[in-house]
Amino acid sequence: MKRTHHLQVSPGEVGEYVILPGDPGRCRLIAEHFEEPKLVASNREFVTYTGKHRGLSVSVVSTGMGCPSAAIALEELIMLQAKYFVRLGTTGALQKELRIGEVVIANSAVRTDGTSLEYVPLEFPAIADFDLTMALLEASREKGIKAHMGTIWSHDAFYKGSVFADPDFLERERWLVDSGVLSVENESSALFVIGYLRKVKVSTILTVVANHHSKEVLSDEEALEPIFDLMTEICLEAFHKLSSTPEG
Amino acid sequence: MEQIQYHIKCRKGDVHRAVLLPGDPARATYIAENFFANPRQVSENREFRIFNGLYEGFPLAVCSTGIGCMSSAVAIEELVNVGCKYFLRVGTAGSLQAGIRPGEIVIATGAVRGDGASLEYIHPSYPAVADFSLLKALRKRAEREKVPYHLGIIRSHDAFYRESPLAFGDFKKRVQIWVEAGVLAIENESSTLFVVGSLRKAQVGSILVIAGSLATGEEVSYEEIRESVDMAIKIAAGALVDLLKGENEP
Repeated sequence: MKRTHHLQVSPGEVGEYVILPGDPGRCRLIAEHFEEPKLVASNREFVTYTGKHRGLSVSVVSTGMGCPSAAIALEELIMLQAKYFVRLGTTGALQKELRIGEVVIANSAVRTDGTSLEYVPLEFPAIADFDLTMALLEASREKGIKAHMGTIWSHDAFYKGSVFADPDFLERERWLVDSGVLSVENESSALFVIGYLRKVKVSTILTVVANHHSKEVLSDEEALEPIFDLMTEICLEAFHKLSSTPEG
Repeated sequence: MEQIQYHIKCRKGDVHRAVLLPGDPARATYIAENFFANPRQVSENREFRIFNGLYEGFPLAVCSTGIGCMSSAVAIEELVNVGCKYFLRVGTAGSLQAGIRPGEIVIATGAVRGDGASLEYIHPSYPAVADFSLLKALRKRAEREKVPYHLGIIRSHDAFYRESPLAFGDFKKRVQIWVEAGVLAIENESSTLFVVGSLRKAQVGSILVIAGSLATGEEVSYEEIRESVDMAIKIAAGALVDLLKGENEP
């Protein structure tokens, strides 16, 4: 097989375990946690680094924003034989008590994106892989992080459903707040649905960068670095929990 | 005095807060008589038959839901109203995959929402997802019993005689989309139980025994799956006990 159409990656160039940030700019920071990270490819919004982590073959691949490009990244990585995926990103809180810098682990997603609908009807639930999700939760606990686990909202129109949207946004989406949905982002629903259909393990870990009730927003990239480092460590530890490979 | 619930005829505090939910009222009696110590019937009205009892020394209850999401929603709403918190549906299902055979056990992580009741609660984009702590407890008990199980998404729907091995016409064609999506099995209650559980902040799971197959058309008698049903009840009751024990941990 030659290079995949969008990722521009050849077989053997990605690991079995993959971290999926949205932002290509965050790949290098995440890859610094690998042993001997190597930039494999960079095309459009897809940047790929591959390396090792205590015997595991690991990669980081950016998905770009939204389910259309996230679905492409996941499909091509499955073609390349990757098996375990954790989306690592940012999210806006829909519940008052979720504070900036806290960690959300999604066990499921409200799927108002368009991409997952092309795969399977709406009544099919977008659910994260149970084992990988529990491994993330356990790894978080071991790092002293009390993560929030629950349902998140994945959607397509950032400027209709974010802290930057019109002031009526929260009233318009009251049903999500009232039903206990933790927070909002743009990729997990399609990743969960495709993961189940293609029989690979997918889960999501996010850090809260905005609260839609208080209207607080954290946009300082540097302030996010320590929490991204921590979430990367949590992902890698979760991968080790699911791996049967002896640590080398 | 607390108000009596309209259908289940119980008041606050009458029902132990960890509840097994079979569909069939006769199975509620069966569970109480064969698995509970000191079983005591709390109430009976329509398809809702409720017992309290002890399992491994911990207080559990059992309440039949009747068939379908409509009556299941009534049961769980009223049980939450009287103070119940943990719910495990124990029932039977039809297999959608040729590799999942009659007598085998399925634990649902979530459900395709093909029912009408959950749609009245919330938009279909909202996931019908099982409580992950309950899944963890179910898995631990299944592993302790050394019982193999299938873990994944099931389909819940309303019209039994559209999608079952007993349905008229080409039932295989009707479920083909779910077979291809890798949905494990089909039944009639879990989707609404999961959704109402999430909305009412109750923890809900579902453990099912395959009683027939839409993939192969196979139908088996209850006698052939009785042992598996007993095992599913044992795993479910044990998982509820573990959740109650967990309440006292830091």
